[in-house]
Amino acid sequence: MTLLAAADNPDLLLRAVTCPTAWGLAVGSLALWLLVPGGRWTGIWSRVLGGVLTALAGVLFAIDLPMFGPLGTQVVFWLLCVVTLGSAVAMISSQSPVYSALWFAMSLVGSAGLLLMQGAQFLGAATIVVYAGAIVVTFLFVIMLAQPEGHAVYDRLSWGWFPRPAAILAAAVFLGLLAAGMSNMKDDAEFPTVETVQAVDLAAEGGVLHPQHMANLGRRLFSQQLIAVEVAGTLLLAALVGAVAIAIHGKQSRATEDLARE
Amino acid sequence: MNEAAVLYNYLAVGAILFALGLIGFLTRRNMIVMFLCAEMMLQGVSLSLVAWGRFHNDWGGQLFMIFVITVAAAEAGIAMALILMLAQRSGKLDSTFWQDLRESGQAAYVDREVPEELVEDRVWPALPPAGREPRKDIDEFTHRPHV
Repeated sequence: MTLLAAADNPDLLLRAVTCPTAWGLAVGSLALWLLVPGGRWTGIWSRVLGGVLTALAGVLFAIDLPMFGPLGTQVVFWLLCVVTLGSAVAMISSQSPVYSALWFAMSLVGSAGLLLMQGAQFLGAATIVVYAGAIVVTFLFVIMLAQPEGHAVYDRLSWGWFPRPAAILAAAVFLGLLAAGMSNMKDDAEFPTVETVQAVDLAAEGGVLHPQHMANLGRRLFSQQLIAVEVAGTLLLAALVGAVAIAIHGKQSRATEDLARE
Repeated sequence: MNEAAVLYNYLAVGAILFALGLIGFLTRRNMIVMFLCAEMMLQGVSLSLVAWGRFHNDWGGQLFMIFVITVAAAEAGIAMALILMLAQRSGKLDSTFWQDLRESGQAAYVDREVPEELVEDRVWPALPPAGREPRKDIDEFTHRPHV
């Protein structure tokens, strides 16, 4: 609906194209095109330029975001965003899978900080413990078992000349459509005319910012979502059995191949 | 705090994380890095879920994120077992090796230009043209200068 309105209204289209978010998308697309492996320009200077353009794109995005609190809170939020998104860019542009896994762990630390700022303390801790502590460690074990020496060819190339710009264009169009669709929400946030939920309501009994909200979360999880919890446990059991079955079957088939070869 | 602005900020961060994961998944060829990018997409969606939950004062966002983490853990376990088996059969983590699974009318992807090898890549000793393999020094071929 917003895009149809923009097509009819040239002023709205002009505003959409010249706003800092659109410039940030353009600069960020160029930065990622330089950074993602597989391009013609490889070398330290193209990566440095990519990093500088990423920082510039981040600044352009941050200009357009509405401020939501006192300056201290805002600075902490921006720092956590820099950690999360910078680590994410480094993860997809790193040429060694071990570095990618470590940058992903750093991005998870940043997003755990963002969750703590939201007041979701259990989820922040669960992100660090489960995601960064178990899943990324499993990734690193598999890399240790399967990684060849040095930088492999397939880490420095992509699928030819088409997927890099096409993927970056698709992601930029996706973000642009989201920003256009959420522009009403941004106007409401910058000039609050509707009644937004105030922090005092969130801290009421049963709210998400109540001092005992973790107990409330647990109570809700094990009373309303009890069947979902049991199903999740069964899913984890099935995944465990499946992983062991796959590994044993692989080992048995390799043993029979070795016996057949001798 | 301006709750609508908090929501908008967190949705923007979640969307950018999702977009970065999307680019990485479509571009990289290493199976493990592709899977890490899929996990990053899940993380972006989780941030958006929690933001919506706070905005509407509803627990559904956080509850759903707990189940997203659970499913991500189960999926990572199975995917790691599969990737390990594929890597042991093919000897590398390249998903191009398995491109015989593509559609029937599509041309195969062949590496045309291979960039120069870096100086630190080791060169393995060559086998003699006839006869059996030379006795390998176990310390020499299990040495990894960097992981």
